[in-house]
Amino acid sequence: MYGQKAVVNGLALELPRGVISGFVGPNGAGKTTTLRMLLGLIRPSSGEGEVLGSSIAHPAEYLAKVGALIESPAFYPSMSGQRNLEILCALGRHDAHRVDQLLTQVGLGDRGGDRFKSYSLGMKQRLGIAAALLPDPELLVLDEPTNGLDPGGIREVRGLLRALADEGLTVVVSSHLLSEIQTICDHLVVIDDGMLRYQGSIDGLLGAQTAEVVAVPEHASDLTKLVEVCTAAGHSARIVEDGVRASAPADWAPELNRRAMAAGITLAGLAVNRGTLEDAFFAMTDDDSHPIRAHLSDPEVTP
Amino acid sequence: MIGAFLSELLKLRRRGLLLGGGGLFLGFTALVTIIGIERASKTVSPEQRGFHVSVAELSQANGLVRGLDHAGPLMGIVMLGIFAAAFGSEYSTGMLRNLLVREPRRVQLLVGKFCALVVFGILVLLAAGVVSVVIAYALAPSKGIDTSAWSSSTGLSDLWSTMWHLTLSSLGFGTLGAALAVIFRSSVIALGVGVGWVLPAEAILAALWSNGQYWLPGQLLENLASGGSASVSLARTGLTLGAYGIVVAVATAYTFSRRDVAN
Repeated sequence: MYGQKAVVNGLALELPRGVISGFVGPNGAGKTTTLRMLLGLIRPSSGEGEVLGSSIAHPAEYLAKVGALIESPAFYPSMSGQRNLEILCALGRHDAHRVDQLLTQVGLGDRGGDRFKSYSLGMKQRLGIAAALLPDPELLVLDEPTNGLDPGGIREVRGLLRALADEGLTVVVSSHLLSEIQTICDHLVVIDDGMLRYQGSIDGLLGAQTAEVVAVPEHASDLTKLVEVCTAAGHSARIVEDGVRASAPADWAPELNRRAMAAGITLAGLAVNRGTLEDAFFAMTDDDSHPIRAHLSDPEVTP
Repeated sequence: MIGAFLSELLKLRRRGLLLGGGGLFLGFTALVTIIGIERASKTVSPEQRGFHVSVAELSQANGLVRGLDHAGPLMGIVMLGIFAAAFGSEYSTGMLRNLLVREPRRVQLLVGKFCALVVFGILVLLAAGVVSVVIAYALAPSKGIDTSAWSSSTGLSDLWSTMWHLTLSSLGFGTLGAALAVIFRSSVIALGVGVGWVLPAEAILAALWSNGQYWLPGQLLENLASGGSASVSLARTGLTLGAYGIVVAVATAYTFSRRDVAN
């Protein structure tokens, strides 16, 4: 509760072990509040939860196995990256040899002795990830881990997270970059207004969206005829620029090709637009009446 | 708690703090000792009493610790600043959330950090004591001060008790700084409130309230530094400060352990 407002309400998350889970929601949805509760930084006003089998009321029982980067990376600005990690290492009684190893792993091997305040945003982010990996965690919680990284850095972090998940680490990534989530995550949790909107595989979410089959006839004069072919097969269709967009499953594209040919239409192009995570996200968070949202609120679809 | 203690010691080893806080401490002690000896004269008129002492007084067994005595109150203020900065910076940098993820047992974190600061404070005070003694011995001959009584058993006893009282008093000021930093979640506000209370506010209250010397914490800490006074005994001072210390420790630990960390 924040004042009279429930920031997070009845949020039952189940994050599978050994996979990368994306945690998304609009600003103010309760993502950071949820992560802070899991990390023992704030206390829920009521309710209960478990992390790695231990109650969130006793964070000391599980935080030794959890690494976290919450919001922007925060360290002592006048100290070097290495000294900052050494301080956290001493506090958690972790193996001090990991400091150099992790600095190298995140690409700061030659800059570890520089002061934190002299780092670029990307370097600070890398140091934050290194700090999160200090305890050799079973669960890694990262809030916007690619924020400020250049394309090369984003690819490196993506590769690092994939490698960690392949080793059996459970990773939770909170991000506003939906394309990034779609690229690196296997599992997805969407929250809005402090409530769970979806949790399950990304493929499951995307599969719930209706695909679009886009057909471009060789002659523009065939556009209207092509729309009739689609509607005759029971799929709504409309003319868009030089082609026809039909709301139909992806596997209907070959059938459309055959029907167009039978109707004497030669297709110059045929493509399938599968929905993106962004489409699904806005469908869930913007419009209650949207068919995807209605579909996802079906208990048989939402795991 | 050991982890918190060790990590805070690592943090305190930074050059800026050693040169800034430690240097300020030692420099100030040296300055007060030098001025105290350099201004010593054969006779001191009643109007000159205060910071002026006579050569005869400095030649007594407690002459060696005169400089330390005078430096006491401001040493306390510096210590208040060091403790307030150490705790307040965790909030201003946002580092506190990193620390709490690595050590979620908040009271242990608090106590470990505090113990490390106490060790740091004792080392700095010891260094200040050594600096003062070395300077006093070095300058005494030039002013005709006889130092033979300084190394007598009485002189050494005075040195020990002065250092002891000064250490307790300075750590008391430091505890106040730490508590204010945790409560206000800012070293700047803690320093402002702490110094503002101890110096002008208590001075005004003490002038207006005749019993203020028995109850005002800053007055009591200064009294402790000087080893008690005729009006407020050392025992009473210690007991009152001990009670305050318990209240402050409980309030600070409760605040630190219960409050959400939202930044």
